[in-house]
Amino acid sequence: MTPIRKLFIANRAEIALRIVRTARRLGIATVVPWHAADRHGPALHEADEKIQLFGEPPVAAFLDIAAIVHAARDSGCDAVHPGYGFLSENAAFAGAVAEAGLVFVGPSAQVIERMGDKIRARRFAVEQGVPVTPAADEADDPAGFAERARAVGFPLLVKGAAGGGGKGMQIVRVASRLAEAIDVARRESERYFGDGRLFAERYVERPRHIEVQVFGDAQGNVIHLGERECSIQRRFQKLIEETPAPGLDPGLRERICSAAVTLAKASGYVNAGTVECIVSPEGEFFFLEMNTRLQVEHPVTEMVTGLDLVEWQLRVACGEPLSLTQEQVRWHGHAIEARLLAEDADAGFVPDTGRVRLLRWPQGPALRIDGGVIEGAPVTADFDSMLAKLVAHGATRDLAVSRLRQALEETVLLGVTVNADYLGRVLRHPAFARGDTDTGFLERHRDTLLPAPLSDEERRLLLAVAARALPDPAARAAPQPYAAMGAWRN
Amino acid sequence: MNSFHFGGTRHRAQREPGSDRVRVDATLVSVQQDGPNRFVAPLDGRSERLHAVADGDQVWVHWRGRAWALQRIDATRSSAAGAAEAAGTAHAPMPGVVVSLLVATGQAVAEGDALLVIESMKLQTTIAAAAAGVVIELPFAVGQTFQRGAVLARLEPTEAS
Repeated sequence: MTPIRKLFIANRAEIALRIVRTARRLGIATVVPWHAADRHGPALHEADEKIQLFGEPPVAAFLDIAAIVHAARDSGCDAVHPGYGFLSENAAFAGAVAEAGLVFVGPSAQVIERMGDKIRARRFAVEQGVPVTPAADEADDPAGFAERARAVGFPLLVKGAAGGGGKGMQIVRVASRLAEAIDVARRESERYFGDGRLFAERYVERPRHIEVQVFGDAQGNVIHLGERECSIQRRFQKLIEETPAPGLDPGLRERICSAAVTLAKASGYVNAGTVECIVSPEGEFFFLEMNTRLQVEHPVTEMVTGLDLVEWQLRVACGEPLSLTQEQVRWHGHAIEARLLAEDADAGFVPDTGRVRLLRWPQGPALRIDGGVIEGAPVTADFDSMLAKLVAHGATRDLAVSRLRQALEETVLLGVTVNADYLGRVLRHPAFARGDTDTGFLERHRDTLLPAPLSDEERRLLLAVAARALPDPAARAAPQPYAAMGAWRN
Repeated sequence: MNSFHFGGTRHRAQREPGSDRVRVDATLVSVQQDGPNRFVAPLDGRSERLHAVADGDQVWVHWRGRAWALQRIDATRSSAAGAAEAAGTAHAPMPGVVVSLLVATGQAVAEGDALLVIESMKLQTTIAAAAAGVVIELPFAVGQTFQRGAVLARLEPTEAS
């Protein structure tokens, strides 16, 4: 067992700060990197040391394996935590860290390779008896492809085997349209990817995105910490995540969670991982992919289990066994997270940039703010648009949701457009309150998620406050101490 | 005199000297300041709490979870100079990266001519000249990133004959 004394955090913003906090509680020193385009990260004020990374565009600096491993060794660290995003699921990075004699806080390069690749992981799931969407791969037997596709069942998704991004995809609802869809998909696939080979899989309508938090240790123990529902997404990015999944049948929950454990155990999984599934309205579930890292939305699991997942990651990375058995894990109440993004949700989710001019985080019982910005910090297009995560807990879903709603309303972040009000509108939506969620939710309810128009009186109120917020010309002539107080007087 | 662009309309909003009231167009609105960036104002018999902060030509106001950026109109700049500035400058509608430059500095362009192509959120957009003129500055090279509102091209407008 090798204790970690000094940890290099190969990340930035809120997740770097979140990891620093746990490390400090455990008596582990921390080193956090920074880039000239990103010198206002809150972790930089909290970490024991900071080290500058170089590269253009700035995101490339956080993807530079050699430079990061060098920085970690140079600063005397004995372990590297990758956070999420960036190099967190890069097998070469995990390998390079281990080769440098440092502990990688995550699964081994071999496991990342096995489970991080979608096609390989899908095949592995089939071998383990974990359900995947029924599919037919043309490459297996080109002559029989149409027949095998028909046997998969309808609705059916026909797409280019080399494809992605929705191009060359055809949804077929009845068998009589299959031949035509194959022709169209092949033509489009040839045009976009220069490869006409096709792949057909069952199209799951109105799917819910449900994932399972799993944890494995070096002794071979694997347990799950329950599921999370992440169906509220825009452009395939999650906006709101919660646990437990509302209205999920307990039997189905048990089947999904134990399938996730089976998969993780069979792959020799060590450290934190997430098994992602889709669940059909009929209650079928299908394995989607495995994320071999800590997830953005891990705090909801921490809120209901009372555990610190980063602490577990660090302990497991040192060779310690998991401190709980499956039977000892307890879940309390409901937790829900919303991602605060710098974007104009009502203008098609376009990202916004600017400088944070005023920042007031909300407070309240059972509320957790994982913030990645401070007042005065620039918000640029160089990095991800997520500025913070707001997480609320409650004995019931209603209580957790209403606490999060209040927190979003009381979040004052001015100087860049954020989606706080939009997230609040989602939480207030009657269909969301019913737990009637699937990955098409935001698109389907677009019209009823628009902001209410302002009355003339409300507009005048905002204009009047804007006028009062302008620097008072009279204050400029005022004596120094009064001028320093700004326009505010007791 | 303070004026703002707000929701596509121009409004006047002027604080009454020595009072807490602001004249918004023709109506007087009472607003108390109760802390740095904090304001209280009555609406429908209720006391509303708001936050606001001035940021260059903008004033950001937060109320009931929503935020607005009110654009201040600078009265000291003449409208003719403002119009020429507007016609001669192409601003970035959103943050992104320059994909290609279609003109060079010193080149004369006609109104509507394509100046450069930018990409934001995997969406390519062509930036065109708002008026005829000569390109005097292209601040970003191909591959460089820029923020929303950045000047992407500056033109010396051709005098209208």
